[in-house]
Amino acid sequence: MDFSLSEERKMLQETIARFFESHYDKIDKHHFNANLPDGFDNKIWQESADLGIISALISPDFGGLGGTGEDISLVFELIGKSLCVEPFLSTGVLSSTALSSIKKPKTKILSEIIDGSFLVSFAHSEMNSRYEECHVETKAVSSPKGWIIDGNKSFVLNGDTSKKVIVSARISGEINDKNGIGIFLIDKDNIKTRSYNTIDGYRAAELEFKNSSGELIAKDEEALKCIIKTNAAGALALSAEALGIMQICFDTTLEYLKTRKQFGKSVGSFQAIQHRLVDMMLEIEQVKSSVMLASATFEADEKTREKHVSAAKNLVGRAGKIIAEETIQMHGGIAMTWEYSIAHYAKRLIMIDHLMGDADHHRDRFRMLSSI
Amino acid sequence: MNFEYSEKEKLFRIEIKDWLENTLPKSISDKVRKHQRLSKQDYQTFMTILNDKGWLATHWPTEYGGTGWNAIEKHIFEEEIIIASAPRIVPFGTIMLGPVLIEFGSEEQKKYYLPRILNGEDWWAQGYSEPGAGSDLASLKTRAVNMGDHYIVNGQKTWTTLGQHANKIFCLVKTDINSKPQSGISFLLIDMDTPGIEVKPIITLDGEHEVNEVWFTDVKVPIKNLVGKENEGWTYAKYLLTFERTGIAGVPYSKTALNHLKVISQKTFKNGKPLIEDPVFSSEIAELEIDLLAMEIFNLRTVSAASKGKAPGMESSLLKIKGTLVRQRTTELLRKAIGPQALPYLPEQFDEGWNDTSIGPDYAGTIAKQYFNMRKISIYGGSNEIQKNIVAKASFGL
Ligand SMILES: Cc1cc2nc3c(=O)[nH]c(=O)nc-3n(C[C@H](O)[C@H](O)[C@H](O)COP(=O)(O)OP(=O)(O)OC[C@H]3O[C@@H](n4cnc5c(N)ncnc54)[C@H](O)[C@@H]3O)c2cc1C
Repeated sequence: MDFSLSEERKMLQETIARFFESHYDKIDKHHFNANLPDGFDNKIWQESADLGIISALISPDFGGLGGTGEDISLVFELIGKSLCVEPFLSTGVLSSTALSSIKKPKTKILSEIIDGSFLVSFAHSEMNSRYEECHVETKAVSSPKGWIIDGNKSFVLNGDTSKKVIVSARISGEINDKNGIGIFLIDKDNIKTRSYNTIDGYRAAELEFKNSSGELIAKDEEALKCIIKTNAAGALALSAEALGIMQICFDTTLEYLKTRKQFGKSVGSFQAIQHRLVDMMLEIEQVKSSVMLASATFEADEKTREKHVSAAKNLVGRAGKIIAEETIQMHGGIAMTWEYSIAHYAKRLIMIDHLMGDADHHRDRFRMLSSI
Repeated sequence: MNFEYSEKEKLFRIEIKDWLENTLPKSISDKVRKHQRLSKQDYQTFMTILNDKGWLATHWPTEYGGTGWNAIEKHIFEEEIIIASAPRIVPFGTIMLGPVLIEFGSEEQKKYYLPRILNGEDWWAQGYSEPGAGSDLASLKTRAVNMGDHYIVNGQKTWTTLGQHANKIFCLVKTDINSKPQSGISFLLIDMDTPGIEVKPIITLDGEHEVNEVWFTDVKVPIKNLVGKENEGWTYAKYLLTFERTGIAGVPYSKTALNHLKVISQKTFKNGKPLIEDPVFSSEIAELEIDLLAMEIFNLRTVSAASKGKAPGMESSLLKIKGTLVRQRTTELLRKAIGPQALPYLPEQFDEGWNDTSIGPDYAGTIAKQYFNMRKISIYGGSNEIQKNIVAKASFGL
């Protein structure tokens, strides 16, 4: 057994860490970039492409240099530490996974994603679909002019700046049927878009499709498999991101409690506080292990992959709440302020549980996948 | 044992309920319900209406214009104003300073300040905490030097809630730096318009402006603004804190939130069924309700004992801890209930007069924000950790 990273990955890790540290050295950068018209800084995105960070998220089969579970986790743990807002999740993981997990992968678009010139968003969630994989109300009908899509998609990450959008739509069946879902590629021009920032500062949009024409890229079983794989990649990326955030939360809290003095002593010297720091540490070790397992088995059979991803995301949801709340509580008033960075890490950590399935959702999935 | 309110108390509740229904402006209760920002005027309007009725100063005896209510009556009143979605009564003048002046203030101070609290001329802020003195309040550093007919004050207060609206601030200041921490402290009344005072906003993690820093540079404060005796302010400060902790369990807030949670869980669907029918989620709601039910009785036990003259001791600490945890849990379950709908955040939604369409259901946009904002309640008013220290020290004999 060997749980350490290969030399090659270690080097990649250092390069990427340095990149994010230079662009996100202060929490103000997070706010500034989140409030740019695009919701992120295009220059940083382009530079990250040149440095090979996007390519690290995509398999060599499609022109990338990575794309395994371990690669995704390595990059996203560092993303978590930086709170960077560039579209690594939306385009880099979700869309690139969707476009490569179909029978005829979209290699040309994937190469444009890798070089940083093309943004695609993945639009599966709907206002009332919660985290369900098969819940699709948006409709697709075939016409002499091709497929026509009607309906609404919600919480589409970076849905305002992408040039194309990958949309799940129902060709047949009831709202929750496993069969009858199609995946379409739709040009973003002429799609009514309402964009906003999420409470943790990431860009998302509501999209309204009216008589929109789209290209069918997968349907039925193939489509469902693609959605499941895409969600798994997203959940893994977010779990690793959460792990990075948790480490920042722990380190910052410990550092603060060493220096913060009340009653003539450092607050960290009180045993009641020390025990809680140990509890935080325990949670983080658990999360770290589950993220490692999910990363290492991401290329295994579907059932193993799904089980381990759900285990990680469930643990992240549960531990994330504890770590975020304890980080704020143990800091005291200062963590309630906008100015202090830790509040924003805590917010992101909590909101990660609202993306790609919360702890309850993944617990239910795990239960189903692990039943004999 | 009798868990019932008496007939008289029931009638009292109805009187308050009816009165609030007829008198509280809907424009204000709507804002409270939607968690929109309240203006200074909104708070003042409500307090003026209460004062006209004689119900503003619930913690004062009648001779000073208070209601003279006992603990149960106060409790009923506090519940009803929350149920009616009224703004909270700004506590700094009415609940905190008023009782201190009544107990320790000079005749002149009582005559001058108490009516001004009632009629809204003065908006008070609480100047206790400092950057270096939070849980350990007695280590405060703001210095007041006695110059004969006035003090010169230098230092900084922080976390001053709604200080941006205040024209007056009561402060704990250090008047004797050579004595032990608790003994050299005095209680000063300071006019915020005095030269040398600067108020700077602190923006909280949810983007709101509810707290401030207040800086003092060579601020001249007349000697007559000292409350009680010099260097004995700690006694008055502690007396005030016992009032700060009334209603601390926030039972009616949690009840309102629990109802809201149930309604939302009926409207929200999971796997094609209302969320309220999901066995796990509804169990979590049930456990929250069980906690709340027990805590309400705990609260009433304390209130009832207080109405018979027994000052709450460690009970108020225990209620504060459990009350804040339960209230925070309501905001957590609300957040979980709506799932991804908690993500969008439109800051303008909290402005007065906003009437654009929300993203998703109209209740969704405030839920995550409320969850984050409510992290404060286990930190302020004596953090939950400090409450535990108080209980352990006072009752275990260890
Ligand atoms: C929104 C908000 C509004 C406020 N409004 C006001 C106001 O109007 N006026 C005012 O004067 N103050 C106000 N406060 C200040 C509040 O009272 C302090 O934040 C509180 O006393 C805690 O102090 P601190 O933030 O400095 O935390 P610290 O005292 O630094 O504590 C940090 C952490 O250590 C813990 N801790 C400290 N000592 C011990 C110990 N001995 N054992 C175990 N744990 C310990 C604390 O519980 C906390 O978790 C407000 C605070 C907030 C957040």
